[in-house]
Amino acid sequence: MNHMDSGAAPAYRPVLAANGIRKSFGALEVLSDVSLSAGEHQVISMIGASGSGKSTFLRCINLLEVPDAGSITFEGETLELRRRGDQPATLNSRQVARIRARMGMVFQSFNLWAHLTVLENVTIAPIKVLGVPKAAAVARAEELLAKVGMYDKRNSYPAHISGGQQQRCAIARALAMEPKLLLFDEPTSALDPELVGEVLRVMQLLAEEGRTMIVVTHEMGFARQVSNEVLFLHQGRIEERGPPEQVFGAPRSERCRQFLARVL
Amino acid sequence: MNFTLMIDSMPALLRGTVVTIQLLAVTLTLGMALAVPLAILRVQRAPLLSWPVRAYIYFFRGTPLLVQIFLFYYGLAQFDAVRESLFWPYLRQPYVCALLTFVLHTAAYTANILRGAMEAVPAGEVEAARACGMRPAQVYRLILLPRAFRLGLPAYSNEVIGMLKGTSLASTVTVMELTGVANTIVAQSFSPYEIFVAAALIYLAITFVLTRALALVEHHWSRHMRPVDVPAAKVGQEEAHA
Repeated sequence: MNHMDSGAAPAYRPVLAANGIRKSFGALEVLSDVSLSAGEHQVISMIGASGSGKSTFLRCINLLEVPDAGSITFEGETLELRRRGDQPATLNSRQVARIRARMGMVFQSFNLWAHLTVLENVTIAPIKVLGVPKAAAVARAEELLAKVGMYDKRNSYPAHISGGQQQRCAIARALAMEPKLLLFDEPTSALDPELVGEVLRVMQLLAEEGRTMIVVTHEMGFARQVSNEVLFLHQGRIEERGPPEQVFGAPRSERCRQFLARVL
Repeated sequence: MNFTLMIDSMPALLRGTVVTIQLLAVTLTLGMALAVPLAILRVQRAPLLSWPVRAYIYFFRGTPLLVQIFLFYYGLAQFDAVRESLFWPYLRQPYVCALLTFVLHTAAYTANILRGAMEAVPAGEVEAARACGMRPAQVYRLILLPRAFRLGLPAYSNEVIGMLKGTSLASTVTVMELTGVANTIVAQSFSPYEIFVAAALIYLAITFVLTRALALVEHHWSRHMRPVDVPAAKVGQEEAHA
């Protein structure tokens, strides 16, 4: 069996296909030809050293960064990446907003809106972007906050709760949009060690629910236990990809072996 | 000190005070209405949008308010086009000229305060707003501007007080606001001390009300930044323990 193709196993309905993504910042090429496809219910972990391009790739998927080349198809809809000569790509902003609304993003630094309470952070986008009636949005938000263990803190402001609590609230905020795909950008890297577990437990719960997730992470234990596929990035390229048993158990790439030896 | 003169002058001074408060209220309201779109243009990356606003702010911050009033009051009338225009019946009035100058002046300062405040909003919060599908207008309305108003309020409080004092310059173009009325009474009574003390006391009273009101707004808007909503009684107890 060819593990290299396991990410596109036919059993999964495709949610996201990113092909040949390239991105440079000035002369620095951060991504050179990275492709990934995520099927429904799949959890894909992206690992690699700092600066290997993992986060940039994730940000390219929901166009917080605009790729220089490549194509992105999400739920059967291909993103329009228009280009005018050497000018940076201009995008169809309506399409981008529509696609982003169905892709949840969880950031390393939480990025909760400081002037809104926990509950308001979770309800504002469903109300204003999706047009959900306020009462329904509040009811759903309270459900989600209960699920991530933040119901009691729903009237607190972000500055008044711990990092782990902020991140769980940020996860509830992403879930409130009923996303087809969840993107996690090093969700535990900014947390104190004792707070990492509470966030990882919530993420594991989501994986068990069958949510489609792409997780950029330094938590090797999580990547190994929870994901269906692990990608190892090195200098903007995918050096190794496969099921976790293979990537962690018997990596073929020398760089991947060295990386794992350092972090495990 | 001639208290009788002070008391006798009060009705006239208070009539002037009404004009001062009117000038200030209209100035701040229209100034803010103008400042928000200006500040949004100012933070755009496209030079065609931001540079005209930069120039506007530079002019109104870089020249004395008095000079601006003279420019509008004496300068505008030099142009035939202005005198023949539909607006001349208004633009010839000193009150309208002073008000127009004040509005443009405070709009420049307020836009600059809002610009700084918007730039101080953490980029991650703006990214999070975009990432959940908010359109640019929604990002401004729901996230950037509410955050900027809170961040900019202390600086804006200064602008409000500054503008209150600025309205006294309207007296130079014959507008009978508080300072103008005081000046007139002094010219008739030859008692500058009593009259200007009375005027100063009225300015102080207005400032007191304004600062209290602004402090209340600031307190209300900074809930999210205060450690916790501790009732005042409890704070007192803790201090007693210390």
